[in-house]
Amino acid sequence: MSVAPSIRVCVVTIAVCVLYASVSAQDDVSSWRRSDAVELPPLELFHSTQAVNLPTATTLQRKNFEFEISHRFIPTIKDGSGSLWGFDGPVNIRLALGYAFSDAGIVTLGRSNVQDNIDFNIKHRLFAFRNDVIPLLLAVRAGAAMNTEVHGRDTWDGDNAQWYAQCIVNAMYGKRFAIGLTPSYLWNAYILHPETQYSFTLGLNAQYYITRVFNVLLEWNPTISGWRTAHNPVSFGIELETGGHFFKIILTNSDLVNPSQFLAGASNSFNDGDWHIGFNITRLLVF
Amino acid sequence: MKILLLFFLATFVAFSQTVEYHVDKSASNVVKFISDAPIENFEGVTSNIDGYLIHRSNDVTATSSLYFEVDLRTLDTGIGLRNRQMRDDYLHTDKFPMAKFTGRIVSASEAGVGHNVTVRGVMDIHGVKKPMEITGSLAPSGSRLRLRSSFEVKLGDHDIEIPRFMFLKIDETMKLELDYYLIKVKG
Repeated sequence: MSVAPSIRVCVVTIAVCVLYASVSAQDDVSSWRRSDAVELPPLELFHSTQAVNLPTATTLQRKNFEFEISHRFIPTIKDGSGSLWGFDGPVNIRLALGYAFSDAGIVTLGRSNVQDNIDFNIKHRLFAFRNDVIPLLLAVRAGAAMNTEVHGRDTWDGDNAQWYAQCIVNAMYGKRFAIGLTPSYLWNAYILHPETQYSFTLGLNAQYYITRVFNVLLEWNPTISGWRTAHNPVSFGIELETGGHFFKIILTNSDLVNPSQFLAGASNSFNDGDWHIGFNITRLLVF
Repeated sequence: MKILLLFFLATFVAFSQTVEYHVDKSASNVVKFISDAPIENFEGVTSNIDGYLIHRSNDVTATSSLYFEVDLRTLDTGIGLRNRQMRDDYLHTDKFPMAKFTGRIVSASEAGVGHNVTVRGVMDIHGVKKPMEITGSLAPSGSRLRLRSSFEVKLGDHDIEIPRFMFLKIDETMKLELDYYLIKVKG
């Protein structure tokens, strides 16, 4: 008669264990769900902040600096080995330093030895349209320039001042092909003209990223209306991207490097093969 | 007597509830990926960690389940270009945005007010799963629970290739540091 209670205990124990197991099995399922409210980093298309002379909508991370040194050799490749295809010089130089005051904006101070043009500009990203097919970026750049060494004029003569405004639309197809459309307005395009001239140009640039390190680029800045120095600038070349450098080697019919001078047009014709060798080096500086 | 034992067992079961914690996203959570390559040291930092922890109220190892995921798209190394290179060339975050860990606490020892724990599980980075054992600490912090852990991940284990001709110097072994807070949602 003592068997019955132990069986009862066993049955109850098993029942409790089964209940325990089933309850704990349910409890192991978490009520956690992924929230999709993640703030992603800013959209970036072109890797570099500039094409050849045209800007891109790319900016830097806040507090980063960018140093630029650009050369355009004045003799063209047509001048041949006698001037080492241009490398003998003389050369037009731009030196510039940019500072990212936010993730979306850069201020840049630059100087070119062409009429000692001092250039100050601000670039700001306005709008990013993220999507899987063709992401878009919109930015604006505005700048003021002073030509401080013009024959027969005072250093700070008001007629030597220029300013410009650019609207930068960039798009990217996949991870490799990026294009830019940059309508630009330049005021006082030809500083020696008795009447103030303006130029309105429609910059186009494209870049194909073959590898992370190596890509090819093309740029064309036709004048739509207003002043143009003889020809539309065309540039093409390669870009090498390293940790913090962009190194561009180009051929171009324009030997000008500062924005207010470049936007006014080129003196050589691209079709004649009067191409200058040039390079841009930018170095990212993080302190 | 047996009835009494049974009663105790039942009581024990009744009081040993499942406790569930979720990552408190409003807390100052920090996840660091530290690369210590010969030429270039850098850290990728993000606060975007999420997940949960479940265990029995009387025992952190009993029927425990720990899950966390880190949004690799938001890793910030302080240089935009380097972030992009990390995302596009190494981690391929368009395909594999998250680093995920699923595991359970296999042992715990009392350490001050909290526990030192060993968690066994599977790390999923770059779409490649790898069994891992990580150690860390769990300690109450106000109304929350603070989890801290530091461990190493080999990039090769997750098929993350380091291209030879690459200017971003990255160490094959990445050190991960987790420091985040969990808030009780159940139990």
